[in-house]
Order: sequence, then C-alpha cells, then structure tokens
Amino acid sequence: MSTTTVTTTTILLPEYLENIYAEVETSFGRFLSLVREIPGGAIIINYIRASYKNDPYRSLFELALALFAIRYFLASKFSYNEKDMVKLSDKDIDELVEEWNPEPIVLPVSDKEQWQADSNPLVIGAVASRVELQVPNGEHLKNVANLASNDFLNMSQREETKDAAKKQIAFSGIGACGPPNFYGTQDAHARLEEDLARFLGAERAILYSQDFCTVPSVIACFLKRGDIVVYDSGIALATQKGIELSRCTAYHFNHNDMDNLEKVLADLKPMLDEGPLTRRFIITEGLFQNFGDSPDLRRICELKKKFKYRLFLDETLSIGVLGATGRGLPELYGIPRTDVEVTTGALSYALGSSGGFCVGENAMVHHQLISSSAYVFSAAIPPYFARVASVSLRLLQEDDSVSRLQSSINFLYSKFKECQKLKKLVIITSSDVSPILHLRLHRDLRSRLDLPVSYGGPGSAMEKIVQRGDEHGYFDENYNRESQILQQIVDRVLNNHNILITRCKRILHHEKLPLLPELMIHINVAFSESELSEAFEAVSSEIYNVLQQL
Amino acid sequence: MSKTIPDALIDNDSPQEKAEKEFGSLTSKEWLFVSKHNPGEPLPVPIEDEPPYFILIATYLNYLILIIIGHIRDFFGKLFHPELFRDVMVKDGIAPWYANFESFYTRRLKTRLDDCFARPICGVPGRYIKCYDRTSDDYNNTYNYSGTVTERLNLSSYNYLGFAQSSGLCTSESIKTVEKYGTNSAGPRVSVGTTDLHLECEDVVAKFTGKDNALVFSMGYGTNANLFTSLVDSKCCVISDSLNHGSIRTGVRLSGASVKTFAHNDMAALERTLRSVISQGQPKTHRPWKKIFVAVEGLYSMEGTLCNLPKLVELRKRYKFYLFVDEAHSIGAMGPNGKGVCDYFGISSSNIDIMMGTFTKSFGATGGYIAADKAIIDRLKLDLTTNTYGESMSPAVLTQIITSLKIIDGQLNGNEGKERLQRIAFNSRYLRLGLKRLGFIVYGADDSPVIPLLLYLPPKMPAFSRMMYDRKVAVVVVGYPATDITSSRIRFCVSSSLKKEDIDYLLKCCDEIGDTLFLKFSTGIAGGEKHPGDYKKGIAPRWTLEEVLEKTPEDCKKAMY
Ligand SMILES: Cc1ncc(COP(=O)(O)O)c(C=O)c1O
Repeated sequence: MSTTTVTTTTILLPEYLENIYAEVETSFGRFLSLVREIPGGAIIINYIRASYKNDPYRSLFELALALFAIRYFLASKFSYNEKDMVKLSDKDIDELVEEWNPEPIVLPVSDKEQWQADSNPLVIGAVASRVELQVPNGEHLKNVANLASNDFLNMSQREETKDAAKKQIAFSGIGACGPPNFYGTQDAHARLEEDLARFLGAERAILYSQDFCTVPSVIACFLKRGDIVVYDSGIALATQKGIELSRCTAYHFNHNDMDNLEKVLADLKPMLDEGPLTRRFIITEGLFQNFGDSPDLRRICELKKKFKYRLFLDETLSIGVLGATGRGLPELYGIPRTDVEVTTGALSYALGSSGGFCVGENAMVHHQLISSSAYVFSAAIPPYFARVASVSLRLLQEDDSVSRLQSSINFLYSKFKECQKLKKLVIITSSDVSPILHLRLHRDLRSRLDLPVSYGGPGSAMEKIVQRGDEHGYFDENYNRESQILQQIVDRVLNNHNILITRCKRILHHEKLPLLPELMIHINVAFSESELSEAFEAVSSEIYNVLQQL
Repeated sequence: MSKTIPDALIDNDSPQEKAEKEFGSLTSKEWLFVSKHNPGEPLPVPIEDEPPYFILIATYLNYLILIIIGHIRDFFGKLFHPELFRDVMVKDGIAPWYANFESFYTRRLKTRLDDCFARPICGVPGRYIKCYDRTSDDYNNTYNYSGTVTERLNLSSYNYLGFAQSSGLCTSESIKTVEKYGTNSAGPRVSVGTTDLHLECEDVVAKFTGKDNALVFSMGYGTNANLFTSLVDSKCCVISDSLNHGSIRTGVRLSGASVKTFAHNDMAALERTLRSVISQGQPKTHRPWKKIFVAVEGLYSMEGTLCNLPKLVELRKRYKFYLFVDEAHSIGAMGPNGKGVCDYFGISSSNIDIMMGTFTKSFGATGGYIAADKAIIDRLKLDLTTNTYGESMSPAVLTQIITSLKIIDGQLNGNEGKERLQRIAFNSRYLRLGLKRLGFIVYGADDSPVIPLLLYLPPKMPAFSRMMYDRKVAVVVVGYPATDITSSRIRFCVSSSLKKEDIDYLLKCCDEIGDTLFLKFSTGIAGGEKHPGDYKKGIAPRWTLEEVLEKTPEDCKKAMY
C-alpha cells in the first residue's frame, strides 16, 4: 500500500504565468540533468523528487532552505556504493531470496547458562530490608536480611514517602500520560526539579524517566561527531553506551589515575590546539558502579581547568550517600557543585523512587529540554515518583539517615578490612565510603585457578568476537566459572544464614571495558551493628568455606 | 505572581464532579462503535489531501522570512546585546554547550510559540486538564504564574482509554500496593528487583498480547533504545519506516546494524528495499546478512496512520525477515478487544516476532514491554541491558497495568472495558468525520484515535493553539523538526473519557477557528463529501456546523466513512 497523493491546483494560473511555468520547467529539467552528471547528483535529485513529488516550484523553494535543513539531517544511513552493486535480474533476486535463510533471532539459552537466570532471587512482597524469598524449588524463605538492595536509606519503606505516594496517586493518578513538553509537566515535577537543584547547589535540574537512559541521553545531547571525550576506564555501561551513541572522539585514562589523566590531556593538547575549538569533556563517576571507589575530584578539577575541559560527573550511586549531608562527591571534597559542569544522578538509588536526573547551569539544562532524546521522546515520570523523591530529599536533610548509613558502611568495611582469614582469598575494591562493598577473588587465587587477568575490554578476544557478531562466542567459559564460584557463596550465605547478598551480573559482551566478577554487599541503614556483624560473620565464613576448597 | 510553577490548589469539587471531569459518563448507548478491519478486505488507503498551491508557497515564504529576520536579529543582537548570546559564545577557551546554528531554530522560531509547549498542569490528565495560568513579558523566556488554574478539555494527553483517573479500581488497587510494597523495587531485575508482582504483570501482558512471555521495563523509550543491541549487530540489517519513533532510531543506531529506511508505509518501497538488501548482501563483502529486521509502528503518533500489517505479514513469509512492531499507541487503543493492530486486522500475533509496546498511553501507567516467544524472552532475560542494569518497575505502576489490562479484558468490572473500547472508537470516528466535513485536511486511518489536522503555515500553530486555549481546549501543536517542514499540524488525541457532547463542542471551536485562520481547504478526496462523487465534480466538502452535528454521529458509524 502506498499513500496516494493527489496534487490539486485550485487556483487557475493566468496564461503568461503558464508560459513562465513551462519555461522554468524546461530549464529546470536541463539543470537537473546537469546535476545528475556530478557524482552523487542523481541521489540528490532522487531525494528531492521523492520528497517533493516531482514539482520544481516546491523544490526551488526548498533549495533556499536546504543549507539550513541539512544541519538537522546528520543521521547516518548506509548505502551500497554504486560500483559495489551487483546487477541482478529479477529472477536472480527471486532465487537469492529463496536461498537466503536468516539465523535465529536469538540463540537458545544453553544448559550452561541457565543457572544465571535461575539464580535471580524472586521476592514475594515488598523489597524492604527484610524480604520473603521464593527459591527455585518453590520453598519460601521468610525474614531474609536483604543486603542486595539499592535503597540504602530505606526510603522506599518509610511511612513518609509512602504517604506522599498515596496522596499524589489519589490526586493525579499514576501516569503523566504525555511527554514533559506536551502537558506532561506537573507541579510535582517542578517541585522536585527545584528541590534537586537547591539540594545540590546547582542552577537547574531536569528529570528523566529511567536511571539507565539518563546518562546516554545527556552525553549524546552535548557531544557530537568531532567533539572530544576523555573518560575513566572504569565507567559504567550506561556511560560507555552514551559515548558510543554520541559518535564523538573518545580517549580513556587509567581508572582513577590522575597522573595518567594529566598525561592523556597533555598529549592531546597539541593536536587539539591546532584544530577548531570543540566541546571537550572529562567523564568520570562520583562513586564507581563497577568498583565502589571514587576519583580525586580536586585533581580532576585542577586538570580540567588547566586544559579547558568540562567535567561530567555521574553521581548515580553517590547522591544521598557521599558527603556529610549526602550531597555527593563535591561535598566530600569541599568543592562547590558549580565546578562540576554536568552532574547526572538517579532517583532509583538512595532516593527510593524511580527515574534519573541531571543538574547544572541553566543553559545546559535548557538545551536538554528540546535536544535530549530520552527527555523529548518519552513521557514524563509519574508525578508520584517525583513526590516521593522530594520527600526523600527532605527526610535525608532532616534526620540522621545519611550519617547512620555512613557509620554502618564504616563498620562493615573495617570488619572486612581487618579480617585476617580473608586476606589471601579476596580483595576489597570499594572504598570505605561506598554503600556497596565490592569483593573480588585475590590475584593469587585467580592465577592459581587459571583465570585471566580480566575479561573483555579493548584488544581482547571478546571484542573481536563481538565485532564479528559471533553470538556463539559470547559465552565465556572462564567468566561463567568465576561467576559460578561467586554464586556459590551467595547461595550458601542465603541458605545457611538467611542473608541475601548479590554479585555483579554484568553482561560481558555488552561491556566495552575490562571487568572482573565481584561479590557485592549492599548496606542498608535499617540494619543495626549487631545485624551487620552477623552478616559479616556469615559472608566471611562462607567465602572462606567456598574459596578454601578451590 | 510567581516565576515558578505554583503548587496545586485544593479543589472543591465533590467526588462525583471530580470523577466526571476525569472520565465523562456515557450519555447514550448510541455513542459506541466497534472498530475492526474485516479480514480479506483491502486496507483502506488513507488518502492525503493537499492544500492549494499558494498555501505551500506561503509556508515556504513564512519560513524564509522567519529565518531572514532571525539572522538579522542575531546580527544586531550580537552587536548590541552580546550578553544575550553568552550561551553560544566561547568563554575562557571553552566551546559553548551547543553551536550557534543548533540553537538558531530554537531561539528564533520555537521561542515565539513556546507558550504553546510544556504548559504545566496539575492533577489527572483526564477528560479535563488543569492548566496553570501564565503570562510572559519577555517573549516566552520566563513566565509569571498567577497561582490559578483553568480547566480545559483535554485533547492532548495519551489517555486513550481514559485510565488516567484518581478514583476507581486502578487507583485504589495501586494505593494498596504502595502500602504493601513501598515506593520502588530497590534494584535491577537481576539483583533484587523481581517481585511476584512483576511476574504477574508479565504474565498478564503475555496473555493480553497473545505471546508466550513478556518482559516489562520502567520506560518505553528505554525499552526500544536498548533492545536492538541484543538482537542485531553489524552483520545484520534493520529496515525501518522513515517515520519511526526516536527511541527505535536510537536503539538501532546503538546496535551498529546497517540501517535502511523506506518511505512511510510504502509497502512497494519496502519490498524493493528487501529485494535489494537480500540480493546484495552485506556492503563490500556481499556475504548474506545474518538477520534482517523490519521495524514499524502499529499506529503512528504524528500521522494517525496504521501499519499495513496484512501486507507486512505477507512479505514476512516471502522474505523471511523478522518483524518488530512498536505498539506504543495502538495497544489498548485499537481493535475490538483493545489488543492492538493484530486484533484490529484479525491477524494472529504469531506473525509478529517482537511485539513492543508502552504502558504510558492507553493504560495510564508508565513503562514498556516486549512480548515474544519463550526462547526469545529467555535469552533477553540474560542479554538485555535494561533488564540487567536498569531499575525495575515500581510496584504501584505494575498494579495500575495489571488492573487496567484486566478491566479491558473483561476480567474485572464487567462491561467497563468494552465500553471504554467502544467509546474511543466512536469518538475517534466522529471527530474525524466531523472535521473532514467541515472542510479540514486531516491525516490518518478512519479508526485511529490520533487525528492530525493540517495547518501548513507555521504561524498558525500558535494561533490555533492559543485560540483553542481561550476556548478552554488543550491541544498539541507539532511542527518542524518533528514533522516535515511544510506540514505543521495540530494533533488531537481522542480519549474514551470524552463525551459525545465534548466532541460537539470541539467541532464548534474548530469550525470558528477554521474560518478565522482560513484552514478549510480540503478537496473532498479524503472523504467528507455531502454526496458521493462530489469530489469528482469539483465540489469540496464544506458542511455547516449544524449539518455536521446533526448527521455525523450516525454517519460516522457506517462503513463507507
Ligand atoms: C512509538 C513509540 N515508542 C516508544 C515511545 C516511548 O514511550 P515512553 O513514553 O513510555 O518512554 C513512544 C512515546 O512517545 C512512542 O510513541
């Protein structure tokens, strides 16, 4: 089916105009055949033809606008090179069509992988600090201590946030039913944007509907082809995707290595000085999702000023956690938020709601309102999400949740740090302010088990497999084995001690940077020191039991 | 007066009044209709009418003048008021956030009509919508809010079935869920974010769409944007409709697959593309493609057109591509049972490989889903980044989805679901035919609840929007770059929550504004004629309002319209 277009001329042209029309038409025809001679000319003509229905008048007017319009059509499409095209008859094509058989949409999940899906816990009821779990054999475990939750401050279970949610739902229903630019913006959204901006000391904030989509969309909004990014080689997947999406020129520096960053920036300088002035960003995280550590913000700020870069700081994990009052990494360093040009964060972590946000100066946020794809092309977040986050922000300023969380973190961290029997088995990669404790197998143990130094990343076998699109190769025996060892620990902690911890479940072939499997213990403010002690005893003994046997 | 959006006022409506403003009650059983395409019949081709020449010429001239004036203002502005251009200037050796040309369109064209966008509201975006009153005395750079709201008839929200409500079963169940489950799910699906509620929701969605299994995500855009990386790679080809949504384009771009686009809904062009793509193989190497996907939408939200599913299914059999259909707008809103385009065309959902949709529209919730065969979902559970890294759905949203789906399906609240479906079908057909008869050019399929009314000239966008606003109707205007440069339009999103009388009123407003703004230039080729065959005689449809209101409610139910 095609959309039939019927052109109707309702005004009658006087005769002399008809003549001019004919004149224009013939000379235009000659002009067109000339253009066709130029390489690529035919394509342009066809394009114009197709879009303007063979009508010279419309095309002429359009030409006047073409320059202006082209700037907006930077999308890339592939096309066959003319010389590259093989001439085929219809019959040949029919045969080729007949012969061609696609590969299946996806590979079936193999027996070796099935355990991954089975090991995901199923919670019955609320995901609170204590949960009821249904294990694969159908049994229910009651009152399990939940050390896998991102709701570090337990905001999602507080009466205040629940009441706010209920009140808002009773007032405005669930969905916003429209993008923010079309009647999707409600008072609740405006309040949260103000609250976030005020809390973080920024000019303005903007909300996104999902944590995972926020960073890529913000990056792609400001960085285009030709722009420069220098990123930490430990950034999370969402940021990696954002850089890929933006098609800017990207360089990385060693994880949290400021000297290396300086070197990279200095090496780039001569080249950049020669070229046109492009947008330049340094991208790092407030608290690394992959490691649980933080960069030296002071050094980064010095370097970015010296080399004239902007700083993009992803604080998904750190808002509500770092700094005396939970205002994130700059607070920890006593640096004003205005020194960080772009800050992204999530409502779905310490704030106990859902969605993401970005804060910074007015002009930057304003540009996102019309140019950030995840903002423009998606519905506004449900107003009750916004209300919940606003209440969480108020609560964490009013009570001592943040400092209690920090002392819990400190307590558990020092327990693990001091534990002698784990010294040779695991390494703590997270810092003593991270609400998630990251443990990975000790180097010596890993080499004894013949495990590679790391998985994936630039130059690795996995990278080549992904480039080849060889889906069978996505399954990595070693990665699977190491993950399984960690899962054994997780399972034993659950079954023997009624405590739920988790491990990193990153998808190897999606990751562009090297990674190592880790055990992760998420601290929650709801637990007392004695509960945390118990958790420590349970986890350390099971780590010992499992790893000692290997 | 405040510069920020005020807090919502306490409203004094009784619960009944409030409910009526969110979802109008049905005034007569006559205002119902079942929308369905009869299998075997060819798909009625939506015919796009064209305005007279001088309208197009004027449109181009309009842009030209706007651009010239814009550049003149930029030139003198930079000379005399450089502080206004700080954002596009180099500062301390740092490039501006965005280039001058990137912001030219916004600064010089869009700001002029910014008051028609992002109008803040409060409360339920139901039949009526409460818009904050605002004025601007600096050409839409900032606004002054008086603190009051005005209730306006809502033709702008994606509230197709009217589930945006603050009372009723969906809301009371969702509130109970908040009490029981809390305000979020505390992590990604693979760590702790999977609850019994998630599984129940996925089960309900799978049954509703007629697929084995489903996965739900907290954002519709994110569903698409991160789906394709798990399905295709650089050895695959995605053939995409030229008007596909931004989320699909982002997703395909991120996947690294080769992309071909075909003219919107042009099945002949699609077939040509398929033949060329399959026979030529991958660029340079000419190796056969690993997989070929065709990505379309069920109902196009800017055009009101439906995908030609019967033809797509036929082509899929022949060319062995995988079919992806984004049912963001069609799920719930189309078909006798509200099950989307498959239901509407009477085609089994087994003919679509990946069914995607969102809950933001018909269900009054938020988020997206993917429904497919078990093997595919099993793989995606392990391989999909949103599932592994992204937050999981919030509990109360899941309840809203489960409850609204069950209502549509008739498992809850008896006949309510059916009535909602039949009301939207009637309302859509009535409004569409009414507009055609009045002489407007509208696009799209007869049964589509999305009705774009073409304005062409850019200044008519703010004019139409403001005049409607003054008449207490909230509408959405869409222009370049969301549409092509000549086809600026108003988009009506019809809802079940509207009463027939609301549409009468809307037609009256359109009639008045249409005369003032000179918008009635349809030729009758796309319907709306007084007597069949009028178009051929050169008689354009120009019914009077009274005639339209009298005849259309009955006529719109007939197949010939
Ligand atoms: C076709 C299509 N897909 C996806 C989306 C995104 O959905 P959501 O608003 O839930 O993010 C939209 C929304 O506008 C859409 O129209």
